[in-house]
Amino acid sequence: MHVNYWREVHTTSLGRIGLGLIILMAATAALAPLLTTCQPSAYTGAPFAAPSAQHWLGTNDVGQDIWTHLLYGARTSLAVGSGVALLSLCLSVLAGCSSALLGGLYDRLLMRLVDALIIIPPVIVAILAAAYLRPNTILLVFLLSAFSWPGGARVIRAQTLSLKERMPVYAARTFGASRRRLLFSHIIPDLGPLLIALMIQDARRAVFMEAGLSFLGVCDPTIVSWGKMMQHALKFVYMDVWRWWLLPTGFALSLTIMGFTFTGFALESALNPRLRKEVSHAGN
Amino acid sequence: MPVIKTIKKTSPVNYAVALFIILTINFIIPRLMPGDPLQAIYGNEALLVLTPELQEELCRRFSLDRPLGEQYAAYLFSLCRGDLGYSYFYNAPVLKVISGFLPWTLLLTGLASFLSTLSGFFLGVESGSRRGRALDQCLLGGIMFFSGFPDFFVGIILLLFFGVFLSLAPLSGALTPYAGHSGLMLVIDILHHLALPLTALVMVRLTATYLMTRSAMITTLGEAFILTARAKGCPERTVRYRHAGRNTLLPVVTAAGLQFAHLVTGTLFIEIVFSYPGLGSLLYNSLLTRDYPLMAGILLIITIVVLTINLLLDILYSKIDPRVAQCM
Amino acid sequence: MRTLFSKPSTPIGLFAISLLALALLVLAATGCNTAKKGDRPAGLQDPIYTIADPAGDWGFPSPFAHYSRGPGYVRMSFIFDTLIWKDNQGYIPALAKSWEFLKDENAYLFLLQDQATWHDGHPFTAKDVVFSMDYMKAHSYEWVNLGVVKKAEAVDDFTVKLYLNRPYAPFLEHIAGTAPILPEHIWKDIQEPRQFLQKEALIGTGPFKLKDYSKEQGTYLYEAYSQYYQGTPKISRLKFVKVRNEMAAAALRQKQVNVAQVPPEIAGELKKEGLRKLTGRHDWVAKLMINHQKAPLDSVEFRQALAYAIDRRALVATCQRGHGLEGSPGLVPPDNSWFNARAAAAYPYDCVKAAEILAGLGYEKKDGCFKKDGQTLELELLISGGGTGVSGFPGEREGEMVKEMLETAGIKINLRSLEAKILDNLVNEWKFDLALSGHGGMGGDPETLNKVISGKAFISARFNRSDELNLLLEQQMKETDQDRRREFVNRIQEVYAREMPCLPLYYPTWDYLSDDRVSLYFTPQGIGSGVPQPLNKMSFLN
Repeated sequence: MHVNYWREVHTTSLGRIGLGLIILMAATAALAPLLTTCQPSAYTGAPFAAPSAQHWLGTNDVGQDIWTHLLYGARTSLAVGSGVALLSLCLSVLAGCSSALLGGLYDRLLMRLVDALIIIPPVIVAILAAAYLRPNTILLVFLLSAFSWPGGARVIRAQTLSLKERMPVYAARTFGASRRRLLFSHIIPDLGPLLIALMIQDARRAVFMEAGLSFLGVCDPTIVSWGKMMQHALKFVYMDVWRWWLLPTGFALSLTIMGFTFTGFALESALNPRLRKEVSHAGN
Repeated sequence: MPVIKTIKKTSPVNYAVALFIILTINFIIPRLMPGDPLQAIYGNEALLVLTPELQEELCRRFSLDRPLGEQYAAYLFSLCRGDLGYSYFYNAPVLKVISGFLPWTLLLTGLASFLSTLSGFFLGVESGSRRGRALDQCLLGGIMFFSGFPDFFVGIILLLFFGVFLSLAPLSGALTPYAGHSGLMLVIDILHHLALPLTALVMVRLTATYLMTRSAMITTLGEAFILTARAKGCPERTVRYRHAGRNTLLPVVTAAGLQFAHLVTGTLFIEIVFSYPGLGSLLYNSLLTRDYPLMAGILLIITIVVLTINLLLDILYSKIDPRVAQCM
Repeated sequence: MRTLFSKPSTPIGLFAISLLALALLVLAATGCNTAKKGDRPAGLQDPIYTIADPAGDWGFPSPFAHYSRGPGYVRMSFIFDTLIWKDNQGYIPALAKSWEFLKDENAYLFLLQDQATWHDGHPFTAKDVVFSMDYMKAHSYEWVNLGVVKKAEAVDDFTVKLYLNRPYAPFLEHIAGTAPILPEHIWKDIQEPRQFLQKEALIGTGPFKLKDYSKEQGTYLYEAYSQYYQGTPKISRLKFVKVRNEMAAAALRQKQVNVAQVPPEIAGELKKEGLRKLTGRHDWVAKLMINHQKAPLDSVEFRQALAYAIDRRALVATCQRGHGLEGSPGLVPPDNSWFNARAAAAYPYDCVKAAEILAGLGYEKKDGCFKKDGQTLELELLISGGGTGVSGFPGEREGEMVKEMLETAGIKINLRSLEAKILDNLVNEWKFDLALSGHGGMGGDPETLNKVISGKAFISARFNRSDELNLLLEQQMKETDQDRRREFVNRIQEVYAREMPCLPLYYPTWDYLSDDRVSLYFTPQGIGSGVPQPLNKMSFLN
C-alpha cells in the first residue's frame, strides 16, 4: 500500500508542468520587489506607454508600470490561495477527524451540516457577504474558507474511519493511546497526501474566486489584484494597450489556476488505485 | 481509497437544511452592519431615495422595529409570499425586477449545461477508451489547459477576437433590438448573440464531465462484462457506447447537476463581459448602485434554482437507479 | 445482434444532434451578418436610427418615472414637448408660437399652437398647460421648480398667462423650456404619477411616440408621430441601445449604431474613417470640494496652500490622458467667452510655496508630514467609487493621484470611496473635509457663477463669507451693459481664485461620433436645463 506519491506526481507530465507552474508563480510573488524597480502605486511614466526596456509591459491608464502590478498581483492571488487552503484544511481536519473519532449524534449532526453546506454555491454567498462587509484581504480569506471546508471534511472523515479500523491505529487503541495522540501520531500522518490534494483544490478555487470577486469590484481597493487589473483593462480594449495589460494578466491568472489543476489531477490519479494500476499497465 | 470527487447522494432533508442555512445567512449578514435594520438592509443610498411612507411600509412589512426573532419570522413569512423587498434603483419590488432578467440566465445556463455535459461525455468516452494513446493525451492536455482559464477571461478573448476584430458576432446583448425578426430569424438572432457566451462557458465547463466520464470509462472497460461483449464479437463502437458508456452516463448526469452551481457562477461573470441581460448583469449593476435588497434577492433566487435543479436530478437519479435509493 | 443496428443509434443520434446544434451556432455566428445585410430592403422602410448609450436603461420615459439624470430627461423630451425649446441657435417656438414678458404684471404671455394634437388624437389646448403647471406644483417633478409660478391662467383656448411671484430671469430656460406639458384628459385622475406606468402615461405632443421600452435590454424604440405640428420627423424610427463605452467605437465601425459617445483616444481615428466628430464645449467641471466651514480649511491661506499643492496639469495629463482642459482657479472654463486668463494663471503647481504657507500657519514638518501641537495634519478625501455614467467624473484614479500630491506636500490624506449619491449627501450636510465631485452647466449665462459659488445646492461652494465677492455677484446680475458686466465677471473670477472656496481641477473633453444621416449638434446651454448631449429632438425634424 505504500506508494511514493511524490514520484507518481512528478513523473507524469501533467504533474511536472503543474508543479513547475506553481513554483514559478510562488517565486515570482516572493521575489516581486527584486524583479522590478517600481512601486505599484508610483506614476512612473506616460499613460499607455508601449512596452519598452524600462516598462516591460508598458504602463496602464495612469502611467503605472504593468509588470510591477502583475508581480504584486501574484502576491495577492497566492496569499489568498494559500491562506484559504490552510485555513479551510484546518477546519476540514478538525471537523472530519473529530466526527470520525467521536461518532454518535455529533457525527450525524455535523455530517448533515456538511451535506447541506456542500450544495450551497460558495461564490454566490461570498459575493453577498463581501458586498455588505467591504472586505480587506484577511476577511476575504476567512470568508472563502468558511465555504470551502465541508467537501474536505467529508473526505477526511471517510478516510479516518477506514484508517481507524486498520492495524497500527487499532493496535495503538488497544494499548490505550489517547484520542489526541491517535489523531496526531497515527491518523494525520497517514492522511498526508490526501490533505495535500485537498489543499491544492482549495487553493485553486480560492485563487479563482478572489480574481472573480475583484473583477466584480468586490475587493480591498488599496491592494493590487489580477481581477481588478482585468476589470480596469477591460475599460480600454478599444486601444492596443490590452495586448500588454489584459492578456498577460489573464494568462498569469490562468497559469496559476492551471498549475493547481494539473498538480491536483496528477495527485488524484496517484491516489486512485484503480487509475494508477492502469497507468502502469498502459506502459506495458 | 478515497477519490476526492465522490458523488454522494443527498437526501431532500439536506436540501431543506441548505435552504434554511442560506435563508439565515441572507437574514443575518445585513443585520451585522451597524445602524438600524432598515439602514443596514437598504444602505444609505436607498434611504435617500425611498419616500418616508415607503420606508415606514417596509419597516412594518418586515417588522424591522421588532426583536430579531420576530424579524426573522416576518422575513420567512414574506418570503413565502414571494416578497423579497424593494429595489430602490429600479423603484419596483425585487421579485418583479428579477423575473425580467431570469429567463435569459436560464436560457444561457441551461444550454451551456446541456452542451457541456454532452460534449464532455462524448469526449470522455472517446478519450477513456483510447487510454494512453495520442488522442487521449491530446484531449486530456487540451481540456485541462482550457479548464485553467477563468470563464470571464475566455469570454473577453472571444469577444475581442470574434466581436471586435472579425465582426462576426454581436458585441453585446441577447438579441438585436427592434430588428423586427420573428420565427426562425428571431431564433437565429438569439443564437447568434448566444454563440460567444455559450462557447466560453462550454469550453471551460466541460472539463468536470469529461474527467469523470474518462475515469469511469477506464474503470468500466476493465470489467468482466466488457470482456464478454468483446468476446461476443460486438463492434468496438457498440461496446464503447452501449455497454461501457451507458454505465457511466448516470453518474455523469448527476455530476452535471452538481456542476450546475459552478456553471451558474460562471454565467454571472460571462454575462457581465457580454452585457447579456441576465441576472449576472443585474447583479453587477446592483453592486455598482449598492442596491442591497436586489443583490440579496438575486443571490437567493440563484441558490434556490441551483438547489431545485440538484434535488430534481437526485430524485430522477434514484428513480432510474434503484441501487442509489437503497444506499441512502 | 439485432440491437447492433437499432440501439447504437441512440448515442450517435445524440451526438449528431449536438453536432447539429453546434453547427447551427457557428452558422448563426458567422452567417447572420451576411443575412442581415441581405434582408434590409432598400427604400421600403428607413432603417432605424440607432443611438448608443453606455447605461442603457434610464427608466420608463414618462416625466415622473424616468431616472432623474440628464439622459432620462432626453428620452422623455422626445415624447413630451415644452412651451418653448432650443436649437443650435437659441430659443425656438414649441407648443408656444410666441411669447412675451409683461413687465408690469410680472407675467409671461404665451400664444399656443392651434394645430397641435396629442398622440391619441385629442387636440391640445391652453387648459392642458394650466393643468400641467398645477399638476407639477402638486406632484413635484425634479427637473422643474414651479415655486416662482404664482398662477397659470388660460386667457382663451390658445393663450396662456403665467404669473410669477418675483422677478425670475431664467424663467424661459428653466421653466418654459424645461417643463413638459401633460395631457389633462389622461393625468387628471392620477394620484401617484410615479406609479403610473401604463401606455397612456406616454401620450405627449412631441415628434416621437414610444413603441417599446425594455428595462432588461436597456433599449427604447421610438416611432415618428406623423401628425406632429412642426412637420413629420425625417427619421421614421429611432432607437436607443445599450453599448458599453469601450465597445462604442467597434459598434460605430460595424455600422450597428449611428451615433455614440466614444473615448477621446479613439475619436480622432474614427474621424479619419469618415465619421463626424462632435466635441462639446468644456462645460463640465471636476472640482475639489473644500469644507470651508471647518478648521483648518476655514483659513484662506490653508486653502491657497492646497491649490498650490495640486498639480492640475498632471491630473489632466495622467488621469484624463490629456483629453481635457486644466482647471482654472477662477472657475470659468478657458473655452468660454467669459473666461478671465488672469484668474486662470493663479496657483501654478508649487510644492515649496505650499509648504511655506503651511509653515507660516504654524505647522512644522516632521518625517514628511506637517504637524501642529503634536497633531498630524490629516484630512479625509471622499471619492465616488463605481460608475456615475459621466465620462471624466473624478473617481478612484483621480483620488489616488490627489492623495499622492497632497502627501508629497506633507498633508496626510485618507481616501474614502463612496457611492456618488452618498458623497453628494455628505457634502450637502458639510460632513466632509475634502471631496471630489463635479457638475455641468458652466457654459450658460454667468448667472451660473452665482449658483455654484453662493447657491444653496450641494454642487455649489456655498461660500458667502467674502463681502467683496457677494457684492460683485449681486452687481453682475443687475448689470445690463455687456462690457461692464464682463468687468464684474472678470473681477468675480479673480476674487474667487483668491478666496479659493473650492478648487476647479479640470474640464473633461466629451466626444460624440456620428455618421452623416442626421446632423446632430450640441445645444447651447444644454438640452432642457442643461443636458450636455447632442441629442436634441429638433435635429431629427425636417
